[in-house]
Order: sequence, then C-alpha cells, then structure tokens
Amino acid sequence: MAMQDSEICRDNSFTGRSRIKVGLRIALFFAAVLLLLALSMLLGPSGIGIPDLQSPSGSAILSLRFSRLLMGLMTGAALSASGVVFQALLRNPLAEPYVLGVSGGAGLGATLSILGGSGLFVSLGLPVVAFIAAVLTLMLVYLIASQGSSGHPSVYSLILSGVIVSSICSSVIMFLVSTASVEGMHNVIWWMLGSLQPVSSGQQLLSAALILGGLAGIWLLSPRLNALALGREMAHYQGLHADLVLVVGLLFATLLAATAVSLSGMIGFVGLIVPHVMRAFFGPDNRKLVPLAALGGGTFLVVCDALARTLLAPIEIPVGVVTALAGGPFFLIILQRRMKQAWIA
Amino acid sequence: MEQAALTFRGVSAGYKHRKVLDNVSFSVREGEFVSLIGPNGCGKSTLLKTAAALLKPLSGVVELFGQDVHRIKPALRASLLGVVPQKIESPMAFTVSQIVMNGRISSIGRWGGISSRDHDLVERSMIYTDVLGLRDRYFTELSGGEQQRVALAMVLAQDPKIIMLDESISHLDINHRQEVLQILMNLNREKQMTILLVSHDLSLSASISDRFLLMDTGRLVKAGTPVEVLDPALLSTVYNCDLRVQQDPYTGYLQVSGAVDSLNRRKKLNRHVHVIAGGGSGIELYRRLLIEGYEVTTGVLNRLDSDAEAARALNIEVVLEQPFSPVGNDAIAEALQMIDNADTVILSQVPIGSGNLVNLELASEALKRGKTVLLASGIADRDYTEGKAALRLVTGLMTDGAIGWQSIQELMLQLQKHSHS
Repeated sequence: MAMQDSEICRDNSFTGRSRIKVGLRIALFFAAVLLLLALSMLLGPSGIGIPDLQSPSGSAILSLRFSRLLMGLMTGAALSASGVVFQALLRNPLAEPYVLGVSGGAGLGATLSILGGSGLFVSLGLPVVAFIAAVLTLMLVYLIASQGSSGHPSVYSLILSGVIVSSICSSVIMFLVSTASVEGMHNVIWWMLGSLQPVSSGQQLLSAALILGGLAGIWLLSPRLNALALGREMAHYQGLHADLVLVVGLLFATLLAATAVSLSGMIGFVGLIVPHVMRAFFGPDNRKLVPLAALGGGTFLVVCDALARTLLAPIEIPVGVVTALAGGPFFLIILQRRMKQAWIA
Repeated sequence: MEQAALTFRGVSAGYKHRKVLDNVSFSVREGEFVSLIGPNGCGKSTLLKTAAALLKPLSGVVELFGQDVHRIKPALRASLLGVVPQKIESPMAFTVSQIVMNGRISSIGRWGGISSRDHDLVERSMIYTDVLGLRDRYFTELSGGEQQRVALAMVLAQDPKIIMLDESISHLDINHRQEVLQILMNLNREKQMTILLVSHDLSLSASISDRFLLMDTGRLVKAGTPVEVLDPALLSTVYNCDLRVQQDPYTGYLQVSGAVDSLNRRKKLNRHVHVIAGGGSGIELYRRLLIEGYEVTTGVLNRLDSDAEAARALNIEVVLEQPFSPVGNDAIAEALQMIDNADTVILSQVPIGSGNLVNLELASEALKRGKTVLLASGIADRDYTEGKAALRLVTGLMTDGAIGWQSIQELMLQLQKHSHS
C-alpha cells in the first residue's frame, strides 16, 4: 500500500519529491554495486572468503579474482552502454550491441585465428584479430548501407546490411568449424561462449583506454540521443545535425561492442537486457542512463562471473550461459513490473 | 521596417523521382500570420520541409531573414525557425519536462551544460502553453491535445522567430484548437512572432490570418488577403468541388462551406432507370447510376448471374429467373411492370443468345410504350442467336428511335440530356 502511494506521488508530483526519490534510488544503486563487487571478490572455486594473503597462492588467487573483476567491469560496461545507444538511436527495444555485425565479424576473425594459426594471426594475438575483424565488418556494413543513399545511410539499411553480413559470417564460421579438428572446434566454441579469463596486460590497457574513450564519447552525445528519441526529422528541426549524431553514435557504440568482444568473446544478454532494466529504474534520460547502465552492466557481469566459477567448482560454467540463465528470470520480473517507466506500455 | 522572414525564390523541390514543389516564389514578412492552404497532397508539407532545410531544393533558394537556409548552421536555424509537426511520437517513457528540454538541445554545449537561460525558456514556454502542471507526467500518457501543447512548448523553448505548424491543430477538439490558436495569436501580437499555419479549416484560418497562400499540385496558385484568396470560383477549381464563401453577418469573418444543393442533387434525382444486363455487364452501370442518384431496377437476370449478385448487394430491385432456364412469362410480366415505372431503359453490353433474346423484346416493348431506350452499340459482336435474330431486332429498334451508346461517359451524358427534355 505504501508502495502504491509513493508511486502515485512520483507520477503526479508537482514538487521536487520525484527528484529526491531518484537521487535516493541512485544512492541505493551505488551501495548495491559496491556490495556486489566486494561479494564477488569473495567467491571463487578455491572457496568462499578471503584467501590467506600470507601464502603466495592466496595472494595470487586474490589478484586473479581482481583481474577478472576488472575484465568483467570493462566488458559489461562496454556492452551495456553500447546497448543503450543502439536502443536510443534505432528507437527499438530489440536493438543490441551486435546489430551492426560486430559479433559475426569478430567471431570470424577469432575462428580464423584459432583454426588457422598462421604466422600473422598468431603474432597479433586472438583479441587483436577479433577486434580488427569486427571493425572491418563494421566498415563493410557501413559501406554497403551507404550505397544508393545520398550522404548518410538510413537506420533500416544499416540494420539490414548488418543482419545480412552477420549471417554470412556465421555461415562461414560454421563451415570452418565443421571441417576443423575436435580440439579446434572446442576452442572456437569455448571462445564464442565467452570468458573473462584475463588477457595480456597490454591488451587490457589498450581496451580500457578504448572503452573509457567510447563511454566518454557516448556520454557527451547523450543529450542529443534524447532529442533523437522523437525521430530524425524533429531532431533536425531542433537544430541537430541528426544524421551526423546517428552515425557517430552508431560508430562509438559499435567500437565499444567490438572492444568487448575482443576482450571476452561473445557474451550475450548483457547488452540487450541491462539497458532495459536500468531504463525501467531510472527513466530513459540518456544523460543519466549511459553512466548508470555502464556501471550496472559491469557489475552484473562481474557477479555472473563469480557465480560461473563458484557454482559447479572446480568446473567453470561459461559466463555467457550464466548471464542469461541467472539474469533472465530476475530481469523478467523487474521488467514486468516496471516496463512502463522505460518504454510505452 | 518589416523584414522578410521567409522567402522562397523559384523553388522546386521534391524526392528522388518525384518533383513536388514547382517553381514556388513567395515571401512572408516578419510578424505576419499566414495560413498555407490547399488540397491533400498539394505539397504543403514538402514546402515546410524545404523551408526548414530538411529537403534541399532542386533549384531556387530558400531564405530565412535574408540568408540561404542551407548555409545557416543548424543551431542558428533552430533559433530562427521552429516546426511543430502533425504529431510527435516518443517510443520511450520521457516525461513532459524532458521532452520540452529537447527544444534547447541546440544550445546545450558540447560538454552538456544547461544554462539558467535554458531553464528559464523551458519554464516560460511550459507556462505559456499551460503544461507546467504536467511536467512530471509521461508524455505518452497524455491526451492528443495535451501532447500537442507539449510539442508547441518544446518548439517555443527554441525561442524561434518563426513558427511553422503542419496541420498540428486539425485533429484537436474544438476547445483545444481554440486554446492553441489563442496562444499562437498572442505570440504573434505580443512577440511579433511570424506564424505559418498549414490548415484545412478555411473559415478558422480566415478569422485569424493576415494572409493566405493557396497551393495546388505543387504550385502556388494565389497569395493574398483572405478576401482575395477565398474566391469561390478559384477554390472550387483547386479543391475540385462546389464551395461557397459567405460573410458572417455578426463577426464579418468569411465562412467557407460546401454548396449544399449539389449534395442534394446527388442524393435523389427521382429518375427511374431500368437496366437490362447479364454476365457482369451491368455492375459498372449500376455503380455509376447509383452514384449519380438514379433509381435503378434491373432484369430479367438468371439467379447466380454475377449481375444478379451485384444487384442484390447494391439493394437494386431485380427480376430473377431460375439458373440456366429460358425466361418465363411471370418474369416477363414483372419486368414489364418495372419498365412501366421507369423513364429510361438501358441495355448493357450483354451478349445475346436464345436464352435471353426475350430481353431484347422487352426493350422493343419499352420503346413502344414511349420510353427512352439506350442501347449499347456493337451488337453484331455479341450476337449468339441463330440466324442473327438479335442483330435484326436491334436494327429494328434503332430505326424506331432507340439511341446507341459506346462508353459509360457517353451514356451518362445521354441520360442527363433526356432527363431534362
């Protein structure tokens, strides 16, 4: 009953109460994030709790857990923020970070790298190859979509060429996997399921820089993303370079997704669902939503990874499986209750 | 000194394979209230899009306060010109104040700062349009009229010098329409805001506009005061129907209305027409005759004939015979009754065989009883009787005074001619 009353107040409030409530909610969210991050440091296949820091193995375990936490934060933040942007720009709740063919391209690059093992690929390392392949795919998709349109490609031609290029890539991957050795097949599939095993520190630094840059770019773009919610035409009337905002936004978001894929493989679900849940809690204003979704996505992935390595220890469940299996029902309940606060009911 | 706010110089514009605007030239002075009128699809919306630099002209120049609109930076353009579209849609649950804040988007700095001037403008335009009380409501939950006021508030927050409204008020109820118009008139009077209103309500526009621009098929047909443009003859050609313009005796405003007697004429002519048809040759005839307002009867038709189905669907009185049987005496008597009631008998382009030859005999009976008989020509190609009996009958009918027709157009003219004589 009390909940209902406060709902009504929030909806019809003519005072500043709604702002206070949102502030409170954000404070609670930050507290939850800190708590969950701390908790995930305690979970591991070697046991629950802080390992003995005096012993070398104990400190190694803790440092490994911390590396995985960083990996999870980076990947989750990149995927989730990227999802926010795609959903806002395409005005479509089904949009997600892999819309423009990033997953297909990165997957193909990784498969070639794992199975081929030729000199060039090996020397570059798998993540770099995956990243380069993702960016090349993005450029290809953009080029195809631009054909026939004067200037900037339309949203629909971008999505369509993204889908088509993705499925071509998937088919090639499947063909390569079907002709590969059992070990190669295993490696490819494992990579595709996603994992937060730390990559080289150089790679981590580069990815962190890319992700921070991408997040900053998206956040600066976020007031303009709000204006685009009313459509390109209206945004144009309001003095935006609407086509430019659209294209820059898509490029930033796809670069974030490509970086995430190169770090951790193809982890699904985070980029689609976390933005929805955060929007349901904090409203669709992208200025708030971009940083909150980044933090939320990162934390969610860190917790999922902690569960993945603990639940069936010593067996590690692929983190991509945990995101959907554990997160799915939880988020479904939230969305069912709060969808109205995010999209038109 | 009044400056030209918006100028079109020989502008042609349109889409890839379709030119919509054809050499349009006009000028709107600062502080004017102008209504843009014209039938659906005449290019009004395209004109607005071209004025707002959403469409690039194929030729000619659009100027805002003397500058080529395509050379003005988007942010500056938004401070000169605001467009209220027919409807805005937000798929996400933005609140009203978030939506209105979009009006300031072009002045928000690269680093996302919102100045106190931005806040003041947003607040002021929400007060002006009376949506301040809705500020924390979800935009999508509002009624159409409230949404339209929010859209206007958003555009006002741009603080533009010109506002263009694309039929934004036509689907509002009368209360909200008056309210929005009142807001526009106040802005026009108090702030010298230039207003260009696309409207279908000619009478309403006449009461509030300084000037009218009348468009037809992409061209500007006439620009001038309401009295000059609301010329019944001109409007009737442009809108392709009879229109009447009267001055309201109390207010002096011009009232435009459809001419009522032309509507009445189409309702009932009190002219009875009997149609002899079959095999689908009657359907188009029935349709046209009913639209023109004739009373229609038909027969004799066989049941299951497509003309019989059509007649039943159109509620036309019809004489029927069993399927695939020759026409019997009862049916003939009934048909003769109908012919007696009719002024005119029309024979369609129905093929004649031995089974329906009797229909031709009905026509010759009608002629004998003094009715006008209109026969579709070209019987020779449709004669399937033995020994060309139909051809002989028709030739006889023609010599006795029946009139031939080739096309339905011609038939309608003949009908009108004989209704008047």
